Amino acid sequence: MPDKAPSQRKPVQKHSGTACLLLGLCLSLSAGCRFRDPVIAVIPRTTGTALWEPEHEGAARAAAKAGLQIYWNAPTREDDVQRQIALVERIIDQKYAGLILSPDQSLALMTPVRRALAHGIPTVILGSPLPMKPGGKLIYVLSDDGLAGQMAADRVGQILHGKGTVAVLGIDPDIAGVLDRERSFEKALASGYPGIRIAAKRMGSFNVPYEQQIAEEVLAAHPDMGVILAVTTDATRGAYSALTEMHLAGKVKLIGCDQDLLTPLTTGEMDSIIAEDTYDMGYRAANLLARARRGEPVPALTRVSPKLITKDNLGSPEMRRILGLDAR
Amino acid sequence: MRASRAKSRVPARRILIAAVVACVIVAIALGVLAYLRSPQRDLPYRDSFASGTADEWNAFGGTWGIYDGGMRNDSDERGAKLMTGSPYWRNYSVEADVKLLGEDGDAGLVIRAGNVEDGVDSYNGYYAGLRTRDNRLTLGRAEHGWWEGPTVSIPGNVHAFQWYHLKLLAYGCQIAASATYLPTGKTTTVAMTDKDCLKSGIIGLRSYSSGGEWRNVVARRATEADLRAMVIEADSSRKLSSNAAAPIFGSGSLPSHLALQPPPPESAVQSIASLRLAPASGAMQATIRGVVSLTSPAIYVQDSTGGVSVLPQSAPSLKVGDEVQVTGAVDAHAFSSTLRNATVHLLWARSPVSPVSVTASQAATGAFAATFIEVEGRLRSKNHGTGDQLVLDLDDGNQSFRAIVDEGRGELLFRRLKPNSLLRLRGICVVDPNFTRNLTPFVLLLRSTADIEVVSGPPWWTARHVVAIGFVLLLLTLIGHFIYSRAERWRLRAILEERERLAHEMHDTLAQSFAGLGFQLQAIRNRMPGDIPAVHQQLDLACDLVRHSHEEARRSITALRPEALEPLDLVPALENCARKMVKGGAVSIQVSRAGEYRPVPLRIANALFRIGQEAIANAVRHAKPSCIGIAICYSEDALRLEIEDDGAGFISGRETRGFGLRGMRKRAAALSAHFEIISTPGRGTRVIVTAPLPPRPTLNTFPAYLWKRLWEIYPHAQARKQTYPHSDRG
Repeated sequence: MPDKAPSQRKPVQKHSGTACLLLGLCLSLSAGCRFRDPVIAVIPRTTGTALWEPEHEGAARAAAKAGLQIYWNAPTREDDVQRQIALVERIIDQKYAGLILSPDQSLALMTPVRRALAHGIPTVILGSPLPMKPGGKLIYVLSDDGLAGQMAADRVGQILHGKGTVAVLGIDPDIAGVLDRERSFEKALASGYPGIRIAAKRMGSFNVPYEQQIAEEVLAAHPDMGVILAVTTDATRGAYSALTEMHLAGKVKLIGCDQDLLTPLTTGEMDSIIAEDTYDMGYRAANLLARARRGEPVPALTRVSPKLITKDNLGSPEMRRILGLDAR
Repeated sequence: MRASRAKSRVPARRILIAAVVACVIVAIALGVLAYLRSPQRDLPYRDSFASGTADEWNAFGGTWGIYDGGMRNDSDERGAKLMTGSPYWRNYSVEADVKLLGEDGDAGLVIRAGNVEDGVDSYNGYYAGLRTRDNRLTLGRAEHGWWEGPTVSIPGNVHAFQWYHLKLLAYGCQIAASATYLPTGKTTTVAMTDKDCLKSGIIGLRSYSSGGEWRNVVARRATEADLRAMVIEADSSRKLSSNAAAPIFGSGSLPSHLALQPPPPESAVQSIASLRLAPASGAMQATIRGVVSLTSPAIYVQDSTGGVSVLPQSAPSLKVGDEVQVTGAVDAHAFSSTLRNATVHLLWARSPVSPVSVTASQAATGAFAATFIEVEGRLRSKNHGTGDQLVLDLDDGNQSFRAIVDEGRGELLFRRLKPNSLLRLRGICVVDPNFTRNLTPFVLLLRSTADIEVVSGPPWWTARHVVAIGFVLLLLTLIGHFIYSRAERWRLRAILEERERLAHEMHDTLAQSFAGLGFQLQAIRNRMPGDIPAVHQQLDLACDLVRHSHEEARRSITALRPEALEPLDLVPALENCARKMVKGGAVSIQVSRAGEYRPVPLRIANALFRIGQEAIANAVRHAKPSCIGIAICYSEDALRLEIEDDGAGFISGRETRGFGLRGMRKRAAALSAHFEIISTPGRGTRVIVTAPLPPRPTLNTFPAYLWKRLWEIYPHAQARKQTYPHSDRG
């Protein structure tokens, strides 16, 4: 009996050896799948523009450092809210590791973001806030629109030397940051430059001809207009078109918001642009998501300072980084 | 020893055969897989779009359609794509004639693409395009973002509405592109090496802001020599090219309008909504600005206040999304306006406007006339309209409406649209009676078939599906019934065969033994001296008993033999049986038959035969009749069997004690037959069985019969168990 035991054990050992080999193979295969870099989704308002491509660059760089991959996509138009909602829904369904979203519309994106949070997806709102309190898995990385308003007021004060008229165009309630920007501008102007009067305030849209039409009406109604502050890219384009058509480009100073038209800066047809540092915001957002995934405490709200771009500083390294001119 | 070897060889051979079969199957599967994944499959691929269909192409944005033998995207949408091909194509080139439809943007070809989605650069692949902003041939890699590679300027600039021949080649990790201006034949080439390159993928047509037109698309296998030839060309192009490339975001230009268009004539621009207030008498000239929302079958322009239809003096090259200034004579209608004899001035290209989501009821009010809307409706019918138009009739709640769209990329979508599907449509809401013909409150003019989205298919409980399901159920029931009937028949056959075997056994053993026993007893009796009458008497008694037992055995054998019923015609079977029983006697057999003969199911025929056989046997055994009558009457739904004798009869009510009578009753009950015995002492006995027959199978009667039969199966089976408790064992 004792001499039989080894011979009986042998096949068992063989089988267990094979089983171990198979188990190891399965584990290594599953490990190959399981330990692939987690993917975070970055959904800006649109893609392929000077405003949003730097965010891609910043987010990709921070994600690569943190061992994350990114999925980058957005609607082809900034006003295509339905498409952006559909993208967020897909990200929820496909259980991405995190979401960085620049909402096209502050109210309409609330429900999809709540759904994402309910599914445990840490979410960074980038650029403009939603009417939701940050905290927990909801993190805000916002452009400091209050500071943008202050900067615009200072620039207007500087141009008009403390006295004159200004028009504010493109006030779009769909984007909360735009309202903040405009209110801050008014406040700063009233306190710092009481000699400057806001001659016209107009609501805005994503329609350039409409914005141009409004700008032309304002310019026709106020021939003494000194400065136009256009608080969105479409309003900037509309105002610029109106100025060139009315042969007022360069005479009525145009301060635009959000980097889009750059060539008129170099020709002097535009005075300046208050640019959002979307590169920095993208970098910070991806970094915060990575930290949140590791369980580290992260600030619920981060504000990133905008930058004033003029003809003089357009070629500086910082501005080139913000504008994504050195990317790739 | 040999046997054991042979035994061991059998499984070995089986294993070998199984292994060979498995190997063959695996080899075939691998072969099919290798064929499907072959980098050369379907190459070369050609599509001149001459057939008017492009079913294998998939659109991602844009308004794609076949016009004048070319594929056209009439939309300013950034990054609109149309894709086709095999994801396993590796080293190949794609080339086509390309024309830009706008002054600002780019259009070109995509190669080795995968993960394609809606979006500006939402795919992984390589793109080469002609770009108007900097007049360059651009080459780069998209990976849900744009990584621009080398660009080279096109001598003489990039011209919209001119044909270029564009070629894009991928071999290994080297990508090369060339553009030839067809009127002059001048070629510009650019090449790049991507270290961590995409290895394979599909081809595509793509435009950014400008829209575009493509024709003569050819994809073919590429060799290293092809690549080398292009790279040499690229080197010479680079030397000739200036390097002043502006920074570009996305694969195309920023939608800039700078100095691309001459300024429009100065005029007072008014809102589109204000056109409806134009005086009814006298032509009023007006100028509006807006975005083109539709180009075919009519031009519509929209601003933030509404939309207007435009009838231009000459056919302008407009795309959906172009921002234009239009001046023309105003025709004000109730819900919208038209600008006649209009001059259209292109301001710049821009993304198309977004639709307003409304319900059909809201659209039917006219509040959204001439506006780009999105509406849902259930498809009621689809038809081909005049020319290449598709006409869809839809409704949503209380409102019906119609959608009209150019056939565009062929009939594929039209074929896929199923009535009662829920569709989401995007198009211009038109209340003009020229389109509605006053049949529906509004008509939706769609930009392309891409504006039709199937939200959900038709509900499964359509009349057609219900009929189909009913038919399938009926078919299954019929098959089930057929199988059950067959099984019953086989069971009965088995029982009959077993009985026959028993009859043979009894004949060969019991009956032969009785015969031998009787013979031996007779022989003993014959040899016995006649002076012992008591023994003679006992031997006579024994001989009688043996004879009686022999007769019983013969009768049992007769009863067990199934060949009596072989013809399945009860009358000759019972007559034959009766004549055998009374053979040698003075009993006469009278047979009568009434009604039209029809085949009787074996189950019923067998039971009636047994009942008749038992009745005849009882008459012969107990009644001492002079005549036995057998009568059968066939009617439409029943079969009546009467066995009548003129024998002794008995008092009704006492027959229940007999085992034979009880058996007859049970057999009758198993058939749901009516069983009756009428007997009076001295006046004979009449046994009447009336068994229901299945109706003749007609379309009207068969379902009812089937239902009845199905309900009868269970009680019948129960009754059968009671009647033949051991029949299952044969």
